Amino acid sequence: MHEELAPAGLTIIAVALDESADSAREWVDAADPRPTYPVLLDREFVVAERYGIINVPSTVWIDEHDRIVRPPDITPGDDTFKEFTKIDSSIHHDALRRWVDHDELAFDADGARARQLAPSPDEQQGRVERRLAAHLLRAARSEAAERHFDRAAALAPMDWTIRRGSMPLRGVDPFGNAFFDFYQEWEAAGRPAYGVPSSSGE
Amino acid sequence: MSTLELVTDDTIYELSASIDGERVLVAADDLARATGWVLKLEGLCRDDVCVPVADRAALVASDGGIDLEAFAHALRLPFASEPGDDKQPTVAVLGTPAEVRSAEMASLDAPPFTLPDLDGNFVSLADFKGRKKLLLAWASW
Repeated sequence: MHEELAPAGLTIIAVALDESADSAREWVDAADPRPTYPVLLDREFVVAERYGIINVPSTVWIDEHDRIVRPPDITPGDDTFKEFTKIDSSIHHDALRRWVDHDELAFDADGARARQLAPSPDEQQGRVERRLAAHLLRAARSEAAERHFDRAAALAPMDWTIRRGSMPLRGVDPFGNAFFDFYQEWEAAGRPAYGVPSSSGE
Repeated sequence: MSTLELVTDDTIYELSASIDGERVLVAADDLARATGWVLKLEGLCRDDVCVPVADRAALVASDGGIDLEAFAHALRLPFASEPGDDKQPTVAVLGTPAEVRSAEMASLDAPPFTLPDLDGNFVSLADFKGRKKLLLAWASW
């Protein structure tokens, strides 16, 4: 997408919600083609918080005047996990082309606001508990870290950056049973905050 | 005095703190430098905003130190902390209230940021002014 749309004026800025550059680099090195755009590290998840991002992969469209024209949305790069995501990646890609080439947007500013996910006080509390847990872990205070990871999960149970994003830090496989337990819990809750289903045509 | 690591949205501050039972007390000047909030007669003030303090006794200890948790409570800031001991510092995190984040989002102004790339070079949103940007949040997990 970047090769195709960069000449038309689009820059992709990738932001990895990971603990270290090394864990992110593994994926960048394996990517084919390798990204030619900046790949940044948001270790504290503060940029994610400011943009209201609670899952990955999420994309935000930002125009030439640094205005948000499309708030975070779950946008898989391809259809590998379509069975789980229920999202058709081509719909987002076509919408993106229409915006970059023709300034065409599916909704106006009020429509963009309506699609935002404002955080609750509990979710904000969950974020500081997660941040504290990560800091404690870096100082090898893993027992204390675990307590704060647990609190974060209880406060923000549907935030994937907290529930799944903490798994590698806690020594839990983010692709293993713990993830499938969380996935079922989230699905039973009605798949909250998971972007726009592909059937909507946006 | 013991060490306090105070984590804010932007920075980590290493401050001196005195521990009084469960209370973590920080010098008012240090806290003002870290957070921008200054204790005045009107309350806690930053720029031209003052937040009245209902329970001043809970906020200010007899030695003039500011109770960190009461400070967060007065400003309605999300707050989490872990006490230290002889070897480890107390760690505290001050966050941003949900209503502040919600208002920022509703403005539709893209929050500016500067982050390191994987080689440690800093890149800012402002570096791409005048272009359309696709912010793509992803992760290895």
